[in-house]
Amino acid sequence: MTQERLEMAKAEAASMEDNRGRNTVLAVIGLGVLIVVLALLNSIDSSKLRDAIALFAIWGIATVSLNLINGITGILSLGHHGFMLIGGYTTALLLLDPATKANIENSARSQMTDFTLGLGLQESFASWGLGFIATDGTLWVRFLIAILLGGLLSALVGLIVGFPSLRLRGDYLAIVTFGFGEIIRLLASTRVFAPFTNGALGFQGVPSEFGKSVWWTCGLLALTVAAIAKLKYSSFGRALLGIREDEIAAEAMGVDLAYHKVFAFALSAFFAGIAGGLWVSWLGGARLDFFLFQLTFFFLVSISVGGVGSITGVLLGTALVVFVRQYGDPLEQVYSLDTWVRFAGVVLLLAGAGLMLYRSANRTGRRLPKAANLWVVGSVLALVFLGLNTNYGALGQWLTQFGRGAYLWAALPLLLVASRTLLNPQKRFYLDLVAVLSFLGLVVVVGSVAGNTWATNLTLVPLALLIFLPSETSAKADVYWFGALGLIALLLGSVAIDLGVLQTTFRGFGIRAIFLSVLLTVTMIFRPEGILGRAEFSWAWLFNERRDKPNDEERAQDAWLSNPELNQQAAQEAS
Amino acid sequence: MASQTQRAYIKWRNWLPGLLVLAILITIIWRISYLGQVSERFNAAFFIRAFTESFKLGSLYALIAIGYTLVYGIIRLINFAHGEVFMVGAFASYFLFSQTPYGLLTAFLMAATIAYGLMRVLELWRGSMTDPVVLAGGAVTVLVGTLILQSVSLPFIVAILFSMLVTGVLGILIDRIAYKPLRTAPRNSLLITAIAVSFFLQNFGLLTFTNRQTPYRPETNWNAPLTFNVGGNPVITNWLVAVIPVITIVLVVALTQFVNRTKLGRAMRASAQDAEVAQMMGVSVDKVIATTFLLGSILAAAGGAMWGLNFGSLNQPAVLGILPGIKAFAAAVIGGIGSLPGAVIGAMVIGFSENFLTAVFPRTSEFQGITEFKDTFAFVLLIVVLLVKPSGIVGEDLSEKV
Repeated sequence: MTQERLEMAKAEAASMEDNRGRNTVLAVIGLGVLIVVLALLNSIDSSKLRDAIALFAIWGIATVSLNLINGITGILSLGHHGFMLIGGYTTALLLLDPATKANIENSARSQMTDFTLGLGLQESFASWGLGFIATDGTLWVRFLIAILLGGLLSALVGLIVGFPSLRLRGDYLAIVTFGFGEIIRLLASTRVFAPFTNGALGFQGVPSEFGKSVWWTCGLLALTVAAIAKLKYSSFGRALLGIREDEIAAEAMGVDLAYHKVFAFALSAFFAGIAGGLWVSWLGGARLDFFLFQLTFFFLVSISVGGVGSITGVLLGTALVVFVRQYGDPLEQVYSLDTWVRFAGVVLLLAGAGLMLYRSANRTGRRLPKAANLWVVGSVLALVFLGLNTNYGALGQWLTQFGRGAYLWAALPLLLVASRTLLNPQKRFYLDLVAVLSFLGLVVVVGSVAGNTWATNLTLVPLALLIFLPSETSAKADVYWFGALGLIALLLGSVAIDLGVLQTTFRGFGIRAIFLSVLLTVTMIFRPEGILGRAEFSWAWLFNERRDKPNDEERAQDAWLSNPELNQQAAQEAS
Repeated sequence: MASQTQRAYIKWRNWLPGLLVLAILITIIWRISYLGQVSERFNAAFFIRAFTESFKLGSLYALIAIGYTLVYGIIRLINFAHGEVFMVGAFASYFLFSQTPYGLLTAFLMAATIAYGLMRVLELWRGSMTDPVVLAGGAVTVLVGTLILQSVSLPFIVAILFSMLVTGVLGILIDRIAYKPLRTAPRNSLLITAIAVSFFLQNFGLLTFTNRQTPYRPETNWNAPLTFNVGGNPVITNWLVAVIPVITIVLVVALTQFVNRTKLGRAMRASAQDAEVAQMMGVSVDKVIATTFLLGSILAAAGGAMWGLNFGSLNQPAVLGILPGIKAFAAAVIGGIGSLPGAVIGAMVIGFSENFLTAVFPRTSEFQGITEFKDTFAFVLLIVVLLVKPSGIVGEDLSEKV
């Protein structure tokens, strides 16, 4: 009996070892594919795409580091923009070259002193006899030193900001971190720090070849993710997770709260400082209004929407936020009011359909299917595409203008789900595939709406049917309100185009931020743990293997295996 | 023996606030007498003016801070969006009195919120929101209101009253849409939602109101110039130094009476103590929370109108609400969050630290002054109070909540 169980356990352990080898191979292959994809994307002649990827990597570093506090340690921190400011200005100061220095000196409103102007690494190295790293060709060495120093300075401030976390909890701590972030920004413009920050003028001429480079930013992102993932699964990270789950219990288990919390803050601030250095490089300059609270808000959206505490989820959220920021700009242009009314109609219809799907999934007693998450992401992206499309009447034109980029973004989930379906030819995985495909279809449907022909408007009929078809699961009035208002808006925008009042033009100022804040609110209401929740990416998902939820029997087996007395007994019986 | 030292320690702690106030007073008197010798400019009139300005600013912050304190008292939420409610209040009154025609969308939104408020009032009479009379009344108000509001200009006082209605409805809607589904959620989720709502309102204002600085000049004599003599020197100011504190006092007294005397006010106090037990006793907690948001928003709307009148212009919507909001929040925390008098006292502390302190440490020939630091005072005070005495000046003991 015991022998049998021991054999079983050994077999399982062996199979896990097998998986480990397989996963290593897969990881290497995956990394290779990722590098090839990056190289391909990099070779496309589109500075917009390259900027978007670089920005994704930079904000990814900041978000993953904020996730260390917000998601893994469970302390809501709202001061990340302050840390980024410190790192950013340090990098900008250390990278001052003679030309920029002369520019600042000649400007009448410069507030910098000789001392702060002399901080540039190039001249310092030259005067210290380190001429070999003061040449133009070794700018990258100085850049690395600069962001490292920026990160360290930021970490030092992070230590200070971390100390209130020992006394305060919850929303009060959030307010204190917010206050620190704002104090850093407000103090930076006062006369105490103006010599370092050049006041409201800031710097121009930070070399942008690093922040705009896909390889530099993605490389540093990979390092950050590797470091934080390693940390998350170390004993230190498990202590942080313990603090998140229950502070008192963690303390009772011997976790040193003060050390862990403050160190988590400092580490997070360190990476935020590095992100700040890349951020000023991406922008080509440092100004105080590059470091508004808005920045932290974007990171907060990434974390909360992607998955609180999950590095994979957080990166997914960052991709979404960066996509909206970089590719949503057509939304903020001037269009006539009827376009906006139609836009509102599609938004309402999509919201109604989404709410209905959610309800029906809940009513039938099943958990929201995974496909629904993709559906949500899909409709979210579809909305953005609509904005991209508004100034291009025909579908074909839109596809040539933006389609390439759009399908690139959609290709990765499609590839994953397709490979998963091929590896596990069981019926239920078609659901995911169908979800991704319908999401792509939805993108096209929604994208074509703004063309405002009867043919394209007809494609919205399925959405309306989804809402209005009588079904037992959707019997709630607000869904019908969404549908009815959406249809009215669509009709108004399509039929009543000759109305005088709809001829006025209107600029969609701030729509991207509105979109993100609505997304955050909706996520908080329906899925507070984010789309991925706490799940991390795992190769096991591809093969549909069990990941981290053992059943009772397996738990008992684990307990038995970890019991030394029983183990000894089993060994004796075996021999 | 141990208890004796402890008692002495408690005594010392009890004396500390008094000593602190004494030290501040002595410093102020020393600075005033010292500055009097430095320059002719720093005479009694200078400090009287600084005092009245600080009092006015404190009253303004008090109007906003009460919204924070009311909401926190009942659902323990730092309503990050309250600064933006204040912003909407300021712009609503601007659109109602201004002469210049403004957009269709703004007029529609304004009319829709007024119609919603009207429908709620009609509901009390007819008993149902879907009653034909109520629906028709709402529809007519939306249509007529949208057409009329585009070109109408109301008297200032009427504009303020209507903006209170609009903002009150907004407050209720925020609670209903964003916060109510999260009543049982962790408090961090609620706070993140509040931040999201705040960003939504900022950018929604940017989208529908305007994206630039807006002059705020209603036809009213409330801000007529006022000059009086102190010790032979004229104090040049305007009547707002009296009007704003009077409005604040009237509204705060009315609110206190409402909370202390009416049935709904009693329900509010009961919910603040223990919402669950209050619900068991038959209090409709959702209604109480809606009332709280309504009252806070009404005061914020008054604050917004006074803010515009005081500064003569409104900053663009994305930034107008942030600093006043966060300072008022700091005021609520300093006074003791959850307490009405605390919010007023805290607001005065913030108002005086921001204005009177810069007057006591002005720019002289050998000292550059502290004006450029004044925005940081609120944050520093906030952090210090949270770390040293989280319950604030008069607040309840929050030790288990913080």
